This record gives sequence, C-alpha cells and structure tokens, in this order.
Amino acid sequence: MSQHRINVDEALAMMADAFNEPLANVRPDTARDSIPGWDSMGALMLIAELDERFGIELSAEVSRQMRSVQHVLDFLAQHGALSA
Amino acid sequence: MSFSRLDGFRIAGVSTVVPSAQLDNLALGDRYGADDVRKVVSMAGVRHRHVVAEGQTSVDLCTDAAHRLLEALGWAPDTITGLIMVTQSPDHFLPSSACVVHGRLGLAVGCAAFDVGLGCSGYPYGLYLAATMLKGGGHQRILMLNGDTPSRFTSPDDHATTLLFGDAGSATALEAEPAGGFASHFGLFSDGAGAEALIMKGGGFRDRFPADPRDLYVRMDGAGVFNFTIKRVPPLIQDTLAVAELGVADLDAYIFHQSNRFIMKHLIKKCGLPEDRVPFTLEDTGNCGGPSVPVTLTRALAERRGALARDLRVMLLGYGVGLSWASAIVQLDAQAVLMHGVSAAAPSTAPTLDPQTESQP
Repeated sequence: MSQHRINVDEALAMMADAFNEPLANVRPDTARDSIPGWDSMGALMLIAELDERFGIELSAEVSRQMRSVQHVLDFLAQHGALSA
Repeated sequence: MSFSRLDGFRIAGVSTVVPSAQLDNLALGDRYGADDVRKVVSMAGVRHRHVVAEGQTSVDLCTDAAHRLLEALGWAPDTITGLIMVTQSPDHFLPSSACVVHGRLGLAVGCAAFDVGLGCSGYPYGLYLAATMLKGGGHQRILMLNGDTPSRFTSPDDHATTLLFGDAGSATALEAEPAGGFASHFGLFSDGAGAEALIMKGGGFRDRFPADPRDLYVRMDGAGVFNFTIKRVPPLIQDTLAVAELGVADLDAYIFHQSNRFIMKHLIKKCGLPEDRVPFTLEDTGNCGGPSVPVTLTRALAERRGALARDLRVMLLGYGVGLSWASAIVQLDAQAVLMHGVSAAAPSTAPTLDPQTESQP
C-alpha cells in the first residue's frame, strides 16, 4: 500500500498532466477513447507518475485494460493512494 | 545475488564506430505524420540515427572498430588470444560472427573466438567474460566486440521502433594486469519470464519461415519494458555500489544503455544520480542496443577525462531484451585509448581514420 495519498481532484490533475489534456476534459466518467493523449506514450507517462509519486507498479496488462478515468481512480484506491 | 569482484586486468582501449549514413527523424514526418514524429522525438530524445547501408553488418562495424583500435594500441594481431563478439545481429546462424571477424582481422589459430547472444545488456556481460578469461590465466590480450544493427530489426510500418533505433559497432581491448590493479565489480541478472516483451518471433528455428511477415521484425511491449526497467535498474545501481562499498559520488560517470530519454531521466531521478554524471548520446546516435554503452563511453568520456586529467571510475549499465540486465564498475586509466569514428558503407578492409571524429587521450 502506498504511503502517499492524493484526493480525487489531485488525481484528475495528475492524469491531465500525464495525458497533456485540459483538466476540464478529465472527469471520472471520461472514456479513454476521448482523451487523445492517453495513447501508448500517455500510458507510459501515467506508469511513471504512479511509480514516482506512490511507488506503485501499474503493469502493462492492467494499463491496457483501463477504459476510463474511473479505472485509474479505482486502481489508486485499491493501492491505498486515494483519500476520501 | 549475482555479483562478482574481479581484478587482474585493465581496459587498454575502447573504439566505437557508427555507419556513415545519418537519418533525421524529423524528415520522416511525411511517412509517419509530423505530429507523431515530433512527439516520439520529444519523448524518446532521438533526433538523428546512424543506420547501416544495405549489405553492411555488425561484423563490418566491429571489424572496422577493431582495426582502428589495434592500430592505435600498436597491438599485433597474433598477440590476441581471445575474441568475444556480443551481438544479436550476426551475419549468419553459422559460423559464429566471432570466427568471421577472426578471419578478417588475421588473428592466430591459438585465439579462442566465440559469440554471445545478448542485446542491450551485452556490454557489461562481455567485459565480465573477458575479465574472467584474463583472470583465469593463459590469456594476455583479449578483444571484446559488441555490435548491433537494430535498425534492421524494425518494420518500416512501426514508427515507435523505427524512430528509436540506430546502429553501431565497438571493440574493447583488455589485457592481463599481473599486479592485480583496480578491482572491478560486475552484476549479472536475467528474467526469462519477460522474453516476449522484446522479441523477433520468426526467422529462427522455432518458426523458420513465419506465415506472418511481421514476425520477422521486432515487437516491443513499450509499457512492459518500461516497467521492467524502473523495477530492475534502480536496485541494480544501488546493489552494485553497495557490493563495491562505494557511494554515488565516488564514481565519475554512470554510463547508461541509451534506451530512451524519458526512461533514462526517470531512472536518474529515481536513483538520485547527479545529472552531470549521466551522459546522453542518443540524440544523434539513437538507441543502438548494447553498443550504446561503449559509444557513450567514447563520445562522452574522452572529453571528461581530458578535463580531469586522471583515471576515471565509471559504472556501465545495460538492460533490455531477454529480459537481461547487468552492471560493471570499471576503471579507465589515463593511458586507455578512447576513440570514436564513422565507418564507410563498404565492408571494411583497411579503415581510414577521420581526425574530425577521433577523440584520443
């Protein structure tokens, strides 16, 4: 479990930065397909962010299965990195 | 842990060459889309790549590098008793590339010659093997060649790999040091469970003539390789330093395999390494596989050594296909030759030294 936690707004800002997308376009129900920057390189950015901020590993397989922003939030919560 | 301490040898010189043809990735926007190319160049950090001409191979590049080095050192070919060639782009399945180079260099029949099939981790592995042969006795001088042409692995339809890879060859001369000398440290690791992360599936004996022509080209799981790298390389650096009883500041440089600028920057930050001790060369030579380590050694370290005017202690780091990863802490004394040049497209015979591209002590 991660020693470091962020809230939902901070998590959305982290994703907006990783995917180079305006924050207003990154909501929990936003689909991956509607975020152009969430491509193979965006996925690497997210993996790097999670490693650097929380020390948690997002595997290539789990990363490929993520279909929406909510899936990333769920992943953070599962690893104890998301505060209520 | 797979760490070793070895003395009884010194590195007499390192010679590297890249092919003369240089491509500008930004000129490939018409083929791959200007935005996509800019994005890859920005993230991976590769603007230019040197690539082999048709018919030019790792054997040609390494033979050229070896000729230059033997000439610079004044070593007669018949004094070499060991030739190791580390490559994943051999001329043939058989004979070994080492035997082909042995013939090209005119080495003696008393010289052992063999290949090692490793990619991005190959340089530290090759040094380790050469060092153990020298330490074992019976050898005085060994040439360790590390060459690869990964530009020939890639499908022209796959811009993620095509824009990343360049080609290079190297030759490293090692000799016995009866008095012992500097004690080097090596760390060697493997994880075959990750073999599919970077693979050319076809063309070998598992599937000699694949039905899908894409199987004749490399396939890379970028996210998988990235995860492997950030999981394995930081402990490799920390553990190698610990085994050698050294701190980060005790080494003059950390010579990384030039995998990708984004990955390397992440590793530097994660490991707490001083940025000025981690040279980058991939901007204009690309990711040339295992030889990216010696290419960085010759291109970046020659200047640094001249400024410091003393022996240099460096950590060499290779990681990638296999999955395989390795480290070496070695010393380059003030007499060691470091040279880099450009290799002509025709298979090398008598190399021409280009003073514009040579850097020697």
